[in-house]
Amino acid sequence: MSPLRRAGRTLALVARRPGGAFGLLVIGMVVVLALVDDLLVPGGPNQVSVPDRLQAPTWPHPFGTDELGRDVLDRVVLGAATSLQVGFVAVGIALVAGVLVGLLAGYYRGPLDAVLMRSMDVLFAFPAILMAIAVLALLGPGTRNAMIAIGIVYIPIFARVTRAAVLSVSEEVYVRASRSVGAPDARILFAHVLPNAAPSIIVQTSVSLAFAILSEAALSFLGLGTQPPNSSWGLMLSQGRGFLEQAWWMAFFPGIAIFLTVLAFNLLGDALRDVLDPRRRSLMTAGASAEQPKVGSDE
Amino acid sequence: MSPLNRAATRPPTTHRASVLVAGATALALTLAACSSGEGVDAEGLEEATDPSASAEDSGGGAPAGTLVAALANTPDQFDPHATTSQASFQVLENVYDTLVVPSAEDLSFEPSLATEWTTSEDGLEWVFTLREGVTFHDGSTFDAEDVAYSLNRIIDEELANAFRFGNVTSVEATGDLEVTITVSAPTPNLLANVGGFKGMAIVPSESAGLDLATQAVGTGPFELVSTSAGGVELAAFDDYWGERPSISGVEYRYVGESAAALTGLENGDIDWTDNVPAQSIETLADTEGVELGQTGGSDYYYMAFNQTQPPFDDVEVRRAVALAIDREEITEAATFGAGTVNQTAIPSESFWANDYAPFELDPPQAEQLLADAGAEGLEFSLMVPDSDEPAVASAQVVASQLADVGVTMNVDTVETGVFLDRQGQGDFDAFSWAWVGNIDPFDFYQAQHLSDASSNFQGYSNPEVDDLLTQAAEETDQDARKDLYAQAEQIIVDEVSYLFYFNPDVVEAWSSSVSGYNARPDSAVNFETVTLTD
Amino acid sequence: MTTYVASRLAQAGVVLAGVAVLVFSLMQLVPGDPVRIALGTRYTDEAGAALRERAGLDQPVLVQFFTWAGSALTGDLGVSFRSGEPVTGLIVERLPATISLAVVSILVALLIAVPLGTVSALRPRSVVDGVATVFSQAGISIPDFWMGIMLIVFVAPLLALPTGGYTPLTEDPAAWARSVVLPAITVGVTSGSILTRFVRSALLEAADSEHVRTARSKGLGHGTVLGWHVMRNALLPFVTVVGVQLAYLLSGVVVVEIVFSYPGLGELALQAVQSRDFPLLQGAILLFALVFLVINLVVDLSYAALDPRVGTR
Repeated sequence: MSPLRRAGRTLALVARRPGGAFGLLVIGMVVVLALVDDLLVPGGPNQVSVPDRLQAPTWPHPFGTDELGRDVLDRVVLGAATSLQVGFVAVGIALVAGVLVGLLAGYYRGPLDAVLMRSMDVLFAFPAILMAIAVLALLGPGTRNAMIAIGIVYIPIFARVTRAAVLSVSEEVYVRASRSVGAPDARILFAHVLPNAAPSIIVQTSVSLAFAILSEAALSFLGLGTQPPNSSWGLMLSQGRGFLEQAWWMAFFPGIAIFLTVLAFNLLGDALRDVLDPRRRSLMTAGASAEQPKVGSDE
Repeated sequence: MSPLNRAATRPPTTHRASVLVAGATALALTLAACSSGEGVDAEGLEEATDPSASAEDSGGGAPAGTLVAALANTPDQFDPHATTSQASFQVLENVYDTLVVPSAEDLSFEPSLATEWTTSEDGLEWVFTLREGVTFHDGSTFDAEDVAYSLNRIIDEELANAFRFGNVTSVEATGDLEVTITVSAPTPNLLANVGGFKGMAIVPSESAGLDLATQAVGTGPFELVSTSAGGVELAAFDDYWGERPSISGVEYRYVGESAAALTGLENGDIDWTDNVPAQSIETLADTEGVELGQTGGSDYYYMAFNQTQPPFDDVEVRRAVALAIDREEITEAATFGAGTVNQTAIPSESFWANDYAPFELDPPQAEQLLADAGAEGLEFSLMVPDSDEPAVASAQVVASQLADVGVTMNVDTVETGVFLDRQGQGDFDAFSWAWVGNIDPFDFYQAQHLSDASSNFQGYSNPEVDDLLTQAAEETDQDARKDLYAQAEQIIVDEVSYLFYFNPDVVEAWSSSVSGYNARPDSAVNFETVTLTD
Repeated sequence: MTTYVASRLAQAGVVLAGVAVLVFSLMQLVPGDPVRIALGTRYTDEAGAALRERAGLDQPVLVQFFTWAGSALTGDLGVSFRSGEPVTGLIVERLPATISLAVVSILVALLIAVPLGTVSALRPRSVVDGVATVFSQAGISIPDFWMGIMLIVFVAPLLALPTGGYTPLTEDPAAWARSVVLPAITVGVTSGSILTRFVRSALLEAADSEHVRTARSKGLGHGTVLGWHVMRNALLPFVTVVGVQLAYLLSGVVVVEIVFSYPGLGELALQAVQSRDFPLLQGAILLFALVFLVINLVVDLSYAALDPRVGTR
């Protein structure tokens, strides 16, 4: 079955599960919002209008306005773009680097494995948030640098997951056979090993996306990620916390947005795991989220 | 004084106008009096304490309780001569003394470690008579050597406030309890320069070996008992020369979260805090058991440009920005009404204030100026310290206003230490913050606008202004002095050496069980006369 | 077995060395003059030169690294740029608070995870299971700093709990408990949610496993089987995860500490980064890594002890 058809079938199966359906729906919505954000909010994140500030949610501000009179709904929509951008790029970085490392380590074993995985151990032993903060101290704060920081933090987990999957796949008869026959490694890796390691990686991706979004929020909350006047859900939360009494909506809506989006990715991950590999379900995702370094929090 | 280092936003205003605001008007009169060349007879202004009875506990009854004070910011260190952090001074105010202190009512100068002073005919010699029977926290006796050591330390080591001693040629102990300060030219604001705040505190002459950044040996009503990551503890000093405090000590806690500070205040955990965000004032005012202190302040917020390079080396570009911003909106956004728009630095209540506001909001004119200067589509970064909410709020409002004239301003919020570093190195397009606790016009303008002055980070240089400022610093006639400063101020404003925004009010909140405390217009935090009732 | 232990120890050592190199290199790359930033308002050319010399910053980089690493081995982590106090001391000062938070959080997490996870595992795919899953997913997805703020605003006044700070256990147990409970709940709920899923999976997996099925087929009662064999085999991965959680917690839950003004190691480390206080930051990170590695080591070794299959590689 071609990969595309397989993907389609997987999605369909995922959508049949309540968690998966919810996940796909919410993520779909958020993605759409993020893609058309410039159209929806042509004025940008900083449409200050002090006379309109701190208004409760009513028309024309369904989510209310913030302390500078900016429409909260507008900023939440723009924040969606920020969160998704950071999430996807960060996980993208981690994915590419981590999977590569994991593939090489798991396939070749031996000294290469030792060196690569020890390096991953080093990164892993580094407290996640401190790594992110240190990287941001290096590069300066901002959305773009937050992507890099979070990406670096997540490389080890992808490496580990990939390696574990590769190890077990490598034991499969057809792989060993191909190797002994002398087929080029690259071909084996990309044609056989990777596709079979894919399920674990995909599940990990979904979980990591969830945490990447949380991490971006945490970093922006600390003032290290997205900078004002740009909009990020975490930044909005941090700004809103000074106004809880007067304007609960300032923190409520971004908080809900983060919660729902992260939940969606987590549930999607669960559903994917159920569909893709029922055999390995138990430890795969539980392990995935347990070992997931969550920047800014206990994990 | 020093760069403002606080996170608290400013409180709302006007109906709250307390007695102290009215008192600040008196600033006018008394500053006039004490800046003259004549010596002031200290007796009339002195506190009720008999200075010779220093060792006696003249306070009433056993000290009751510890005051818990929540500071919005964390002190960076405790060496009074070296730090410029306002949070540090919120602690040091109670630990050290200066020769004279500004009174709480009208900021006129009163005796502290000096009981009287005289100035020579030519104004070049000031002789201070020192208080007898004063002991340091370490038990040693206070004398003229300590004063000479302290002030010379600031000058010789070129510490933070050395610029205030620019005119001083010598500080000498001319008697056991007598110090003579010689100046190269008449210095009408000498008292402000030696006593405006605790940056010129007196430390023991034996303290050369001590690390004053972490230990404190002062003569103040409280002594430093311990410091930790989360706070600082002071205990009442039994041998204080003045009236022994009625409380047994002060426990400062660093509480950056205003929600935490206010909740603590409401449930009795915290007795005093300066962490009062502007938007919370209304609710706080109505809260049982909480008192609010609000007064017009002498702080000011501003923006400054890097004038050493294009495009801001062109005064027309700076003027364009000055015409494009709406100060009313900025002030309202940043202070919720607890602030006063001001195109100059000096607040209107001051004797030295001038009603000068040359810039009217005029976006088309601004655009025109930019076009003429070849700076259309200008894009630049404004550096702001992330801990200062009004500064960050102002920056965002300004960004929005400038966008309307085609200028893109990026807001760069940086950590305070990084801000100070980059500011000192000239690594910025523009920066925005505040200066705190200014009393004399010298405080407001000298260090920032004189060519090559210690805080002139923006690179402004105008010989005419230099002349005026230098003359004014030496002019002993009040009115002439005021006129000179007014002229200098006009040029400073016209040429946008700084783009001034507003003067924020001072707002603090404390529990009803605290009495004897009031917010001061110079935002000094003094717990000497506080009592705690249950 | 001893070879296993030895090899794991060696591994840990290598990783620790790697962390040391990495953190040191990172600090070297950070822009801005660390001396200027560390001294901040105290900067004068003299003080700057003095600090540079005292901290050995004028030495070549390699020398600096080995000097630092060498003294670190003896427990001397250098002296903080900012305050001049020994780094080790500054860190130790914060340990009681951090450990308190970590331990109580784990307790909270276990209190949530064990009942919830066990109940789910007993009846997989039932309504109860579904509800538990939703709860645990929700718990993971809530931003913990958000939860902390909510607790401060709504719960703290209700229960007269302090909204910040920390009182040592030795000073006043009641006050200690009150200062730890809200931060611990904030952290524990997220932790607990993750652990719930893990408990569930571990129990299910163990229940499924070979020798449990064998035990069952031998006719052992359901209760006995679940009780002993399952639990013991579930213990292994469970121990891993708790260990990993604990290690992360000890490295400071920075954001929660900030929200609650809780003086823990995470907040210290954040301050250190922001003020470019390299020695402090290096020392803190090294310590965290060490703790993490030690805990992992303990976990691995308990695996070896608990599961006879491990260790013969």
